[in-house]
Amino acid sequence: MSTILRTEGLYKAFGGIVVADNINVTINAGEILGLIGPNGAGKTSLFDLISGVIKPDAGRIFLGAEQIDAQALYRRARTGIARTWQNMLLFRSMSVMENLLIAPRHYPGESIFGLVLASGRVRAAEHAARERALSILARMDLSAAAEVMVTDLPFGHQKLIGLARTLMNDGALLLLDEPMAGVEGTVYETMQRVVREEAASGRAVCVVEHNISFIKDLCTTAVFMAQGKIMESGSVDKLLASKVLTELYFGV
Amino acid sequence: MLTDPALLLQVLWTGTVTASSYVLLTVGFSLTQKVTGLWNFAQAGFMGIAFYAMYFALNHLGLPLLLAFPFACACTIIAALVTEAWGLNVLRARHSSHLTFFIFTLIVAEFIIYWLTLLFGTEPQTLFKSIMSPVHIVWEIAITDWDLVAIGMTAVFVAALAGFLRWTKDGQFLVAVADNAKLAELYGISARRAYYVTAVIAALFITGAMYLVGTRGGITPNKPLELILNAVIATLLGGMGRVFMGALASVVLALIQSYSVLIMSSRWQNLLLYGFLFVAIVIFPRGIHFPKWRKRPVVPAAVPPGG
Amino acid sequence: MEYFLTIIVMIAIFIILAASYNLVIGYGGLATVAHPIFYALGAYTSALLAIHQGWHPIICVLAGVLVAGVASILLALSALRVSGDYLLISSLGFQLGLLQVIRNFEFTGGAGGLSGIPSTIIGAARTPMFLVICGGLAILTVMFIAWIVRGPYGRAITAMRDEELAFSTLGRNAMSMKVAIFALGCGIAGMAGGLYAYYFQYVSPDQFDILQTVAILTMVVVGGMGTTIGPVIGAVILIAVPQAITFLNLPPNVMAPLQGIIFTTLVLVVMFLRPTGLVGGRSLTSSH
Repeated sequence: MSTILRTEGLYKAFGGIVVADNINVTINAGEILGLIGPNGAGKTSLFDLISGVIKPDAGRIFLGAEQIDAQALYRRARTGIARTWQNMLLFRSMSVMENLLIAPRHYPGESIFGLVLASGRVRAAEHAARERALSILARMDLSAAAEVMVTDLPFGHQKLIGLARTLMNDGALLLLDEPMAGVEGTVYETMQRVVREEAASGRAVCVVEHNISFIKDLCTTAVFMAQGKIMESGSVDKLLASKVLTELYFGV
Repeated sequence: MLTDPALLLQVLWTGTVTASSYVLLTVGFSLTQKVTGLWNFAQAGFMGIAFYAMYFALNHLGLPLLLAFPFACACTIIAALVTEAWGLNVLRARHSSHLTFFIFTLIVAEFIIYWLTLLFGTEPQTLFKSIMSPVHIVWEIAITDWDLVAIGMTAVFVAALAGFLRWTKDGQFLVAVADNAKLAELYGISARRAYYVTAVIAALFITGAMYLVGTRGGITPNKPLELILNAVIATLLGGMGRVFMGALASVVLALIQSYSVLIMSSRWQNLLLYGFLFVAIVIFPRGIHFPKWRKRPVVPAAVPPGG
Repeated sequence: MEYFLTIIVMIAIFIILAASYNLVIGYGGLATVAHPIFYALGAYTSALLAIHQGWHPIICVLAGVLVAGVASILLALSALRVSGDYLLISSLGFQLGLLQVIRNFEFTGGAGGLSGIPSTIIGAARTPMFLVICGGLAILTVMFIAWIVRGPYGRAITAMRDEELAFSTLGRNAMSMKVAIFALGCGIAGMAGGLYAYYFQYVSPDQFDILQTVAILTMVVVGGMGTTIGPVIGAVILIAVPQAITFLNLPPNVMAPLQGIIFTTLVLVVMFLRPTGLVGGRSLTSSH
């Protein structure tokens, strides 16, 4: 079981507020780690630190064997990190297919030189990306939505597309920020199934969620954060039985 | 020769006095930028209207200065308010981008300038037939009546504005809207009214400035484009939102330009000005700040978004 | 007839300028007003090389493209460091500053301008030949830009405009893409400058000042931003319509400002009655 993500002593403060205080987290291949805690606990900030949106004040981050905390934001996807966002951040002017085509890690067609000098390679990459996108949409039973504008999709399907976008990146780490917020029924089940499939194929997954049953159904391990610190970590059952958690979480 | 104190003092005096019209223009421009967030290049057009209205009133209508000046103020104020009401407000309602506002204000300025060119031609004009004014020698420095008027007018205008911003309700509303228009609206302060008030103040300052400039040298319809550039640079160097620092910056710029004549040919003066613009943009994009004046960092009261 | 053909040459040159400007602000979403200075850099570079070195026109024009491109990269790197909005005012300063430098140096002909650019084509066929060259390059430019923005590159540009954070997190370097678009657009403007220099055989700082920016900018906005045909329509209308009154035989001191009034009125009318442009492109909103 290889370790995909490891953080050591991550620390970050904004003004007077500490959003990450000595965070040590490990996620292995095939593991689905749940990140739970009240609002303001620092969960999304931890995602921001790992994906590179903010730089840590102290501490280190390792993806596999590579230390990435000094890496620029845009490099981390190429290293293999994909994430979703609370506000989805789908590209509004484009269709579902276009949103997915822009997501693979490697894209010779997105430079002027590539376009002009390597049109054969660009065409091949485009074709491959399109195939991949279609198979992902098929897994989610959304094949019919390929040419629809993302803004025309119902909310639940938009969330699925957000997830689909991350799957176009075939890297090792998947960070999902509240994927279940506001969805239910078939969308909920589809998301569960797809995430489980990804973990089974060797990806490390970390999920921020408030939905306790989702955590129970899906996650193998969990970490409980509050006020920027890790309060408890371990198996999901152990955490849910803990008094600390019920006090801090439901007391808020 | 360069160290002759009388000469240096003279340059100091003349430089400061020359800065007076720039101070007025910068204050108008910077205040507008502060309150509305816009770099309002249409003010170049208003400058033209102010000057030519006065010129027309004095030379074609034969009015005395006491009537011509308010006449010009009225014309400029009307132009400014019309631009606000029918132009800028529409763009705001459409959530137009900075680029759109830029195009609009510049086009308005050009529109006005083309009309003025059509009506008044491109020959330089001065408000009065003569630009000479009586000179007095005080402590070996030549001081003209114009100098005194310039300094006096500028001091009165700037002091009045400072008092207005501090002690009147409307003035305080201006500051509130400048800070955070949406928040101010929540407290019942009308941002629209603040914009109109700012437009009126800017128009007054512009008219005052154009009186000074127009009694000192020839004005052509294109001259305001040069003048507004000074205002832009001074606003940048003073820092956006810092109106009185902008005024100070324009004085410093004028002094540097005046002193530079002693060591380099005057045709480089303009280049010097642009050199400052470069510096402002590349090194001091947020204005020149003195470290000890920086406020202590405020601890954010809100929790960062998300988990 | 000659005059009429010269107008068409000007339209062709402005189509190149408007289309390349549209690439930068319409597709790339970069608010800059420095396009004329790159046009000027292209013109002056070609002119100076032609006068002093006597190189082949194509080499001189390409040198102009190179100089414009490199200068634009310098501007973009320093301005985008601060923020996207800052590019507006810094491009204004860059434009005015560089123009002032040109005005003050004897080497560039000073305020009086640079004349004596060597002829390339002589004889009666000159204007028609230039028409073919400029017209051809205009068509090529429009087609090239349309081609670029169609495929994966256009997709990337749109995504960058829509959600830059998500775009970056997907592994794309937004900064380098912006600089690349900027350099491409400004380089093409440099080419237009070279064409201008060779056709008119005279360049002066006044031809590249802030009023030119507004001209090019308005062509894009009036025509329709972010569309292929928009800048073309904008260029045609905003040059042809003011020129239409030249047939009225008015004295020059009335003609020139009147053309300006027609131009600015046209822009204001389109801006307020049809904000997305005549062809209906993207409207410039601050939601990006």
